[in-house]
Amino acid sequence: MTDTLPLPTPPPPPPTAWPPPGATIVAYDVSKSFSGLVAVSNVSLAIEPGVTALLGPNGAGKSTLLRILSGQANPSSGKVWVAGGNPRSDPEARARIGLVPQQDGVFERETALEVVKLAAVLSGLDHPTERARDALQTTEMDPDLDRGIGTFSKGMRQRVKIAQALVHDPQVLMMDEPLNGLDPRQRRNMTNLVHTLGDQGKTILISSHVLEEVERFGSHVVVIANGRLAAQGDFRRIRSLMEDQPARIRISCDDARPLAAALLHSGAISGCILQSQTQLEVSTTSVVELRRYLPHVARELGQQLREVMPLDDDLESVFRYLVGGQS
Amino acid sequence: MTAFFPLYRLFLRHQVTAGRLVLIGVLSGVSLLIGFVTGANVDDFERVEVAVGISSVFGLGLMVPIVSLVLASSALGDLVADETLVYLWQRPSPRLAIAAGAWLSSLTVAIPATVIPLSASALLTSNDSGTMLAVALANGLAAIAYTGLFVLLGLVIRRSLVTGLAYLFIWELFVARVGAGAAKLSINTYPASVLAKLTDRELPLADRSMVVGIIVPVIVPIVAVFLTQWRLDRMDIA
Repeated sequence: MTDTLPLPTPPPPPPTAWPPPGATIVAYDVSKSFSGLVAVSNVSLAIEPGVTALLGPNGAGKSTLLRILSGQANPSSGKVWVAGGNPRSDPEARARIGLVPQQDGVFERETALEVVKLAAVLSGLDHPTERARDALQTTEMDPDLDRGIGTFSKGMRQRVKIAQALVHDPQVLMMDEPLNGLDPRQRRNMTNLVHTLGDQGKTILISSHVLEEVERFGSHVVVIANGRLAAQGDFRRIRSLMEDQPARIRISCDDARPLAAALLHSGAISGCILQSQTQLEVSTTSVVELRRYLPHVARELGQQLREVMPLDDDLESVFRYLVGGQS
Repeated sequence: MTAFFPLYRLFLRHQVTAGRLVLIGVLSGVSLLIGFVTGANVDDFERVEVAVGISSVFGLGLMVPIVSLVLASSALGDLVADETLVYLWQRPSPRLAIAAGAWLSSLTVAIPATVIPLSASALLTSNDSGTMLAVALANGLAAIAYTGLFVLLGLVIRRSLVTGLAYLFIWELFVARVGAGAAKLSINTYPASVLAKLTDRELPLADRSMVVGIIVPVIVPIVAVFLTQWRLDRMDIA
């Protein structure tokens, strides 16, 4: 006789920390392929309000990912949730998204005001003309400019594109290379505008391959390499988690040789290069440990530290480590 | 439908280019010239017969489909080509408004651009207002059907102009005339049947009833507009 044992009760599901409750852009296991060529592969990410930069080498899949997140492209598999819904099928979700596409094309025969007003009307806004004028003024465009966009410079077109994306005061703003064509003053103003919108609690996702620009937008990044998510988060925190990439730090002091020997002996550094009598470059897998030891060692040797400079915790270094030689 | 009128206006403005106006002008001129020359040279008892024949071959077979193709395939096709469709597509307004706006704007240009010169040509040839009205109705129905079909074609196929011309010359003017089965899938035969019935003349493969001859050209664009909306909902936008 065989006893029928009751099936064990399945364990309760683990508490879901993902996606974060405040996330306004969520992609789950998203892939996209074109004729067998995989452009985006199994990307899962969650983006919360604030400014986030979408980074990746050319051809890494960031524009395709942005198109998927904005609803322009249907993922081959996976799910996307933006501003409360699926941006492809949910008009209410689309009403909360502003998009600055990468391509230069804007309706050539229309004036700036007509294009932005059309965006306002199609978004169902009251007083579309006033809203369009306000949006154009926000991007420093003259709403009364009475000529077709076909006659505009690249920078002017870019500002019209940004104005049409802002006209309905979207909760989520997706921008593909938004600073293209802008002069330095306009870039600075646009960066300030993005910061202001981020501070107001909007979610802003900016795709760019110009790292200096991205660094100005903030420290939160999503890095795509070979169509896959390479990293997401604050790039300095990402850098600190790269245990296989020792941090490089330049130290200036009175006499570099004894300091290097003492630091090596203490185990706080894994290697060093003497660059001059008074300067050395050390590598360490534990910046915290080095930070603790260095003042002690210097004091014991009777030396004064003149400079302690991290050499590879900037965005460019982090990006280079993440994407290897693809950039 | 607050979204419809701005979209309609946008499509209308973008379809009317200098090149297209020249094409319409040339075809209209040729149509009037044919009407004038034949009207001056044809015997009285042949006038209606000749006018109907010209309208069938030049109007329904050539001018209406070509003008409709050039206008309607560009309505959404140009926006796909220059990647501006995203500015309409991304908005929460109904995609049906995009499809309907594209079709009706094409029709707004195609109807006067074809019906007026072809009707005038028919009047010059036939000297008969009844024939003129029959030609106007038949060509108007053809424009209604072709514009709907070619708006969809412009959205679906990148080289829609070449594809449309191939469809017109291979299918409508050749394959469809081989047999009655294929002719049922030819738009041309329906307005041609209306023209034949109204003028009491014989035209090749124009053997549909009056009701069918009117209903099919009206149903074709309605189906095409809904297919255009369906395609807009599912396509990847540049």
